[in-house]
Amino acid sequence: MASSPSPRRAVIIGGNRIPFARANGAYVGASNQDMMTAALDGLVARFGLQGERLGAVAAGAVLKHSRDFNLTRESVLGTALDPATPAYDVQMACATGLEAIGSLADKIKLGQIDSAIGGGVDTISDAPIALSDGARAGMLALGRARTLKDRLGAVASLRPRDLAPAAPGTNEPRTGLSMGEHQALTTQRWGITREAQDELAAASHQHLAAAYERGFFDDLVTPYRGLTRDNNLRADSTVEKLAKLKPAFGKNLGEQATMTAGNSTPLTDGASAVLLGSEEFAAQHSLPVLADFVDYELAAVDFVSGEEGLLMAPAYAVPRLLARNGLSLQDFDFYEIHEAFAGTVLSTLKAWEDPEFCSERLGLDAPLGSIDRSKLNVAGSSLAAGHPFAATGGRIVATLAKLLHEKGSGRGLISVCAAGGQGIVAILEAR
Amino acid sequence: MRETLPEVPTLGTLYASAAPRVLRKVTSVAPDALPDTEAYVEAVRCSREQLTAYQRLVGDTVREELPSVLLHGLGFPVALWLMSRKDFPLPLLGLVHLRNEVRQPRVVRPDETLAVSARAVGLTAHHAGTAVTIETRLFSEGELVWEGRSLYLAKGVRLEGVEAPPAPERAAFVPPSTTARWRLDGSTGRRFAAVLGDYNPIHLSALSAKVLGLKAPIAHGMYLAGRALAQCAPHGTGYAWSVDFATPVFLPGTVEVNRTSQPGGVVRFSGWNAKASKPHFAGEVTPL
Amino acid sequence: MADQYLNFATSGLGRSLVKQLGLPAPVTLRRYREGAPLVPGAILVVGSSPLAAELGELLLGWGQEVRTHDAGDAALGAIVAVLDDLESPSGLSAPALTISPALRKLAPGGRVITIARPASNDDAPAVAAARQGVTGLLRSLAHELRDGATGNGIELAEGIGLDAPSAQGALRFLLSGRSAYVDGQFIRVEGTGGALPSNPDRPLAGKVAVVTGAARGIGAAIAKVLHRDGATVVAVDVPAAGDALAKVANEVGGTTLQLDVTAPDAGSKIIEHAQRRHGRLDIVIHNAGITRDKLLVNMDAAKWDSVMAVNLESQLRMNQAFLDAGLPGLRLVSLASTSGIAGNRGQTNYGASKAGVIGMVGASARAFGALGGGINAVAPGFIETEMTAKIPFGTRAAGRLILPSLQQGGLPLDVAEAISFLASDAAGGINGRTLRVCGQSLIGA
Repeated sequence: MASSPSPRRAVIIGGNRIPFARANGAYVGASNQDMMTAALDGLVARFGLQGERLGAVAAGAVLKHSRDFNLTRESVLGTALDPATPAYDVQMACATGLEAIGSLADKIKLGQIDSAIGGGVDTISDAPIALSDGARAGMLALGRARTLKDRLGAVASLRPRDLAPAAPGTNEPRTGLSMGEHQALTTQRWGITREAQDELAAASHQHLAAAYERGFFDDLVTPYRGLTRDNNLRADSTVEKLAKLKPAFGKNLGEQATMTAGNSTPLTDGASAVLLGSEEFAAQHSLPVLADFVDYELAAVDFVSGEEGLLMAPAYAVPRLLARNGLSLQDFDFYEIHEAFAGTVLSTLKAWEDPEFCSERLGLDAPLGSIDRSKLNVAGSSLAAGHPFAATGGRIVATLAKLLHEKGSGRGLISVCAAGGQGIVAILEAR
Repeated sequence: MRETLPEVPTLGTLYASAAPRVLRKVTSVAPDALPDTEAYVEAVRCSREQLTAYQRLVGDTVREELPSVLLHGLGFPVALWLMSRKDFPLPLLGLVHLRNEVRQPRVVRPDETLAVSARAVGLTAHHAGTAVTIETRLFSEGELVWEGRSLYLAKGVRLEGVEAPPAPERAAFVPPSTTARWRLDGSTGRRFAAVLGDYNPIHLSALSAKVLGLKAPIAHGMYLAGRALAQCAPHGTGYAWSVDFATPVFLPGTVEVNRTSQPGGVVRFSGWNAKASKPHFAGEVTPL
Repeated sequence: MADQYLNFATSGLGRSLVKQLGLPAPVTLRRYREGAPLVPGAILVVGSSPLAAELGELLLGWGQEVRTHDAGDAALGAIVAVLDDLESPSGLSAPALTISPALRKLAPGGRVITIARPASNDDAPAVAAARQGVTGLLRSLAHELRDGATGNGIELAEGIGLDAPSAQGALRFLLSGRSAYVDGQFIRVEGTGGALPSNPDRPLAGKVAVVTGAARGIGAAIAKVLHRDGATVVAVDVPAAGDALAKVANEVGGTTLQLDVTAPDAGSKIIEHAQRRHGRLDIVIHNAGITRDKLLVNMDAAKWDSVMAVNLESQLRMNQAFLDAGLPGLRLVSLASTSGIAGNRGQTNYGASKAGVIGMVGASARAFGALGGGINAVAPGFIETEMTAKIPFGTRAAGRLILPSLQQGGLPLDVAEAISFLASDAAGGINGRTLRVCGQSLIGA
């Protein structure tokens, strides 16, 4: 598909997130709105946006209370931004953050807005607990009841078992399998070894720890509730230590089970935000420009039928994005592949190297090929930082934008898989 | 000979009327023992409440189509009426559900009034007894919109004058890859019964199942088929489907499920028990 | 932080109890409020030199009610004694005895200010004796003042007149509520540099100011006061304090820079941030500081070195970066401490670092002055902050209630006011000096 030159660029000015915290730990009691507000506040402070009316703020959460129907707008109202800044919620599972940022970049490119903040937040520690369907039906009927008889009838319809609350799960609704169980199938399908997964996990921890040590996150992270770093980070993580863990997913694979709590992301709380703008906005406000948000692409796969692995959609999105931008998989200086599971990253990379997959599934004449692994997740990724679903996109965009700006040239590829068999990928270019 | 019933009988009454014959010992049955009776109900409708409840139960989307398994459920009491009659030669409360074959040429809308016809169409020798085929057909203003054959086994009943076929050689079960997992709680049978009225005691509770010699209640075969079809059946078009039942699913329990697409839009599905490595059911759906 | 004793002592029942028991009787100090009068009454000008006449004209020009020789019936907001013409100690008699009856008319929160020449070893002995005598007179008088009134002096170096911007700047600062907790101190004006603000309520308009250690306590107060006075604030603190820092920056409409000031490139990072984001760098407040108190007998290297690194060495390194960058007109204010002047038990490391700041400021004055700017220090006494809240209660109560003339601890705001003044162009003629903000604590000089 030929793309007409976009009328102007959308640039990434900077980002901010709160440290990511393992679930039911440091952030117990903090709501999505609290954490999103904190992430926005830090960003506003970093870039002096107090009283500024931005074009739009878009963010979202995967696990959301019904009271948070206007989560992003409510968060904005709690910040020092001009209350006249419009805001809306985005929801695309783990792709939420990047989709919010990508669609805002589009608005900027089209000239509809000059500035925006995109991001996301999630908490497992303050996840919504719903009434069971039975209790909900009874309560709703009670609300509709006009007569005493109707009300008594509605109350009488409630059964004791209805009163047990329904906690949200991370199971795919259509398959009843957890994300880890799905990935276990994909990991096995691609023959990814335990050792390879543990190596990737150890590297993630070591890279993230090194990035913190060199002050890389000094202008990307604002402490929150006594936490100054992601508390899932184990700087002393090694392949040997990870090798001792027992399998957590795909246990029915027996000996072939390779996925552990060490090479899978933990449930995490956190929030992130990224400031975008037109070049004019950045210049007028004397703001830095870290990178161009070049382009992004969505994809989805049929995992319900078992045709494809749940988390393999990015494998399909990337070739389309590359083709549209006239690039090859090797034309990048950094690869940020979200580590939902070590197996996800490795399966995706292996798929791109596989002639049969690339030909039959992607319709390519030749495989996309392999990447230089030394350019992969160089400042750590989700295995070390944790993965508060909707917040991961913002973490990655800000990290990659800064990496590119530090290098001063080149481009980076982002790949994020998501529940529902979806995926989102993006290209950033250094400024 | 058609026997027109004034309305769809209630299943509970039918099971109760069959109960006294539970202890009746049947050891053999003549090939022509089936009565030549067509049970007929002129006007059957599915309420929106029942449709919604069913769609919720099996995880389908609430939409204006009667799922094929729900249509089976509408006709089932009429078939059961046949099977609970004194002249039905096999004991109702011991029948094992073996197989269903359904052909539904078009989508049936919830506002259609359906006529139900059910007949017992044949006895066949089975290595473990005698199987009976019940044919049920649904008509909308005279148009055949659904026809299904259900195969039930009466264990230990010899079909007189017919050599029972040998038990087929079964290859060791090799489980396919899991594409879904159903976690069925202990109330699964009661919830299905509440929607479709099939209060067969083997599905309801630990106690009622024990009375009938089962270690635990088992899921309705049609519940399992309904959940599979909710995932696999096409929408907006007619389709044919079939399902074979191998071993029962005890409740509560977990069923591993595989779904595989075939050329021509055919979808095969199967369910099994991962721990015991035993198949529960297998079937396929073909769009028409 | 509310001082509960102050609240108690100023309440109806508390006040009478305090009086009967002979406990210290602190009052709520007169602090700066925009729109409030410069002083709470007329100003009595004492003295007969030409400078005294000039001062009267100046104060009239500021819209003040001015009296000379005799206060009459008016309540006095301030008494300003112009003593620049002292020839010998006997010259002190007349002004002292003129001030004496006027003190009874001094309103709560009033001011006594002397304007004199500093004594020098180059002076004739009698002249030096008279000039030095002024300090003893003023400091003793400051101890005698009550109801939040303070006594301070301005020392005009030889050849400096009231037309020097900093002479007027210091005078306005000392008269106003901005100097509420400055007591018994002298501000020396040695240069004619600097400029008076067009709007005295926005003395820092258009300036870009960096405040280190801005996340909390005195640093946060400095950020707020500099912002109130018109500056754009860059709030700097260690990354670990980023959340509190963000709150401060958002309150003052500034930007945050999460930075450890001990980093080798801290100075250049500050310059880069200020210039790129705000176009310039006019003011740096070296406020970041830590305490690691231990008796020297129990001191270890970590405690000693970290205090020196943060409180002093980082400033030296950053100052070199600022000088290397040749930032024109850069004004710096460093945080010293009365512990660096008088010493404090358990604070050998802290005291060394803060005394070091005083030395550093004096020795850096010429270099920054050459660029049209300047560097000074503020030495807070007992200030109610999170840091001082860690001091044991007995020491703390004594520190804030018994020792200072003002009979109370100061607020971070009081320190910030002095810093804002010294950071302003109006202080352009003041360089290399250390100003105490201690409520005239008995400790130290």
